[in-house]
Amino acid sequence: MVDKKKYVPEMTQKEIDEIRSSIKSASKRIMADYIERMKKTSNNRPEAMSYFDDIADLFGQRERELQAAKQDGTKIVGYFCNFAPIELIMAADAIPVRVNSGWYDTAKIGDRVVPVEVCPMVRSTIGAKMIGLSPYLELSDALISVLTCDGMTKESEILSDFKPVFTMPIPRVKDSAHSLRFWNDEIKIAKDYIERLTKNKITRKKLKRSIELIHKATRTFRRLQELRKGPPVIMGRDAMLVNQTFMWDDTKRWIEKTEALCNELDKRVQDKIYACPPDTPRVMVTGTPMIWPDNWKLPSIVEEASPQGVIVADELCSSDRLLNDPVGIDEWSMDDMFHGISERYLMSSTCPCFTSNDGNEDRINWLLNKVKEWKVDGVIYYVVRGCMLYAMEYPRLKKVLDNLNLPIYYLDTEYTREDVGQMKTRVEAFLEMLTARVDL
Amino acid sequence: MALEILGSLLEVTVIAGLMIAGLLAVVIWIRNKTVRITYLRTVVQITSLVAIFASLPLLALWPSLVIAIVVFITIFFGRFFCGWICPFGLYMDIITFVRKAMKISYRNLPKRLNEALHKLRYAIVAIILLLPFFLGSPFDLENWRSFFLFEYQYKPLMIVFLGPLEPLVIPWSGVIGYGGYSLSYPYVRGITEYFPQYAITISIFLFVFLTIISSFFVRRSWCRFCPTGVSIAAIDRFKRSRWIPLLHLHKTEEKCTKCGICDRVCPLQVTEIYEQKGGELTTSMCMLCMRCVEMCPEQGCLKVNVAGKSIVESRNWLEPSRNE
Repeated sequence: MVDKKKYVPEMTQKEIDEIRSSIKSASKRIMADYIERMKKTSNNRPEAMSYFDDIADLFGQRERELQAAKQDGTKIVGYFCNFAPIELIMAADAIPVRVNSGWYDTAKIGDRVVPVEVCPMVRSTIGAKMIGLSPYLELSDALISVLTCDGMTKESEILSDFKPVFTMPIPRVKDSAHSLRFWNDEIKIAKDYIERLTKNKITRKKLKRSIELIHKATRTFRRLQELRKGPPVIMGRDAMLVNQTFMWDDTKRWIEKTEALCNELDKRVQDKIYACPPDTPRVMVTGTPMIWPDNWKLPSIVEEASPQGVIVADELCSSDRLLNDPVGIDEWSMDDMFHGISERYLMSSTCPCFTSNDGNEDRINWLLNKVKEWKVDGVIYYVVRGCMLYAMEYPRLKKVLDNLNLPIYYLDTEYTREDVGQMKTRVEAFLEMLTARVDL
Repeated sequence: MALEILGSLLEVTVIAGLMIAGLLAVVIWIRNKTVRITYLRTVVQITSLVAIFASLPLLALWPSLVIAIVVFITIFFGRFFCGWICPFGLYMDIITFVRKAMKISYRNLPKRLNEALHKLRYAIVAIILLLPFFLGSPFDLENWRSFFLFEYQYKPLMIVFLGPLEPLVIPWSGVIGYGGYSLSYPYVRGITEYFPQYAITISIFLFVFLTIISSFFVRRSWCRFCPTGVSIAAIDRFKRSRWIPLLHLHKTEEKCTKCGICDRVCPLQVTEIYEQKGGELTTSMCMLCMRCVEMCPEQGCLKVNVAGKSIVESRNWLEPSRNE
């Protein structure tokens, strides 16, 4: 091999193929297994979920669609964090796909490049790229990486061994006019980059259309989250899967199918058909993003445990935070649309990578609002080892929730299946305690 | 005779225009939720313009009464008057509509300049309140009486306070007359009366030109230092008197995601709504146009309270509401 890679060690093609095929077959089995278990847990799962079960197969329908689109000349842009402006990507007739990796096994391959102390999601993404496992990561023509945490910052550098990576530095303090100005410039530079990549010009009309499309998606998304406020008509895992499929699914189709699901759930609210007994402890999950397929361990444990819990809300950038905030447009001029987009991504984000003098109050408020509106009984604070930002924020949140007399449980884990049994014991003890409180 | 026909024709066109505007508002009321209040506000503004037009003789006869009404409204409803009634505001909003249609984006004033302009209003009002001390004896009751009734030497003050209320067409004493009606523009009559003869045309032209151009690029540019809306500003300025106005903006801090939309859409560039940590928002700059309430995407985060009861609430404007 001639090309010099700065970071990644050389692997022979044979080795790559071997590892990939073994992980891929294992992963297929695991995805099927998870979906099977989701079906089993919920005694009457909504019928509209079957579409999401299919699209959740990473090596299935959607991969073929993207391949076909790519052959037609459509560019595919992968992105890592929720800050990448998908409206701009769509306005340039490209397809945005979020490519964070949730495979446990590839994290071990990533260990060859970065030390184990690094966030496993980053390691797993690097590993997935090294063996070419993730179909979306492979298909994307360029990657947009927003430099949120340290892991993401260096990950983009390592991945530039493989693909063109466009990095967007993000200011760490939101509450100042110059941060917003900086980020607005950054979004404009991103627009130029996307235009150069796709060779399509982002016009006012196209941008307006894509913003309106995402508005529709946000509306549907919010509708689904509103439905989770009442008695549990849908298991948390199902809703989380629906949220998560947005990251790679075709947006129009996703809106359609999710609307269908919401209609079905609306009916269930009226007919009082619940997915689990209404007095099941309502759990909120917050912390490190949980990415399908492998990192589905915690939601599965919570909803399969005895006593059972139901996840009614979460505060993960892989689920409830994906589409919560709309782009607010005052006037449909190009300038104002850019301002709207930059505000939507920077200002309303509650990523812990931000800080401020008053201690990131908007994030705490958002959590408290969720706790109250979704009538949460207990919070599970999920942190993977190496995720500094979430881990360091825990004491603050604990203090706030202690004042509300709301139990919070800190759960740290890794990208591994070995601690499932032990985690199950811990989660069950927590749920037991919640059940006792609910009975009171 | 011809004049009367012309007058009644004008009346009919105004009423017809009003109805069409109302209809338009209703149509948009159903469709686009992010402009509902704006259109409702425009209809209210046009209606009140007609009302002011109809009461013009009254305006001439009882200036202090009208001022009393204006002050009364501003004390109890805040700068609601500026946002919802003031004709000059309507003209500026219409210019804004034109600009929006042309897809040209607005400019923002630098924050410091905006605040300086805001403070300039107090200076203007302070000078006006000091006038009786210079233009007459402060111990002379007659002097104070004519000050409050805008008589004799205090007549120009009427223009300062009632200037923005001037409709574009008035039945007498305008600049360019035609058939008993003459064209006018806010503050213009004041200029014609109190400027030296040779400077009238140029100063009117300059004033009209500058206000139109500035409000084309800067939303509601005149409102930033207009002395008419200052009375409530003075009330809101002091913490002790903040309970007086009935109308208040209220923010629920917990629901706020700090997305910054309210900050951006505000035509007067008021930042307090974004910066303040919940509770009643009283800033002397806010003219209660409720644009922020209408654009806030969080259900119940921003509210408009009348004596503690909320009449308008921000909502998830993506979703059709339940009572529709």
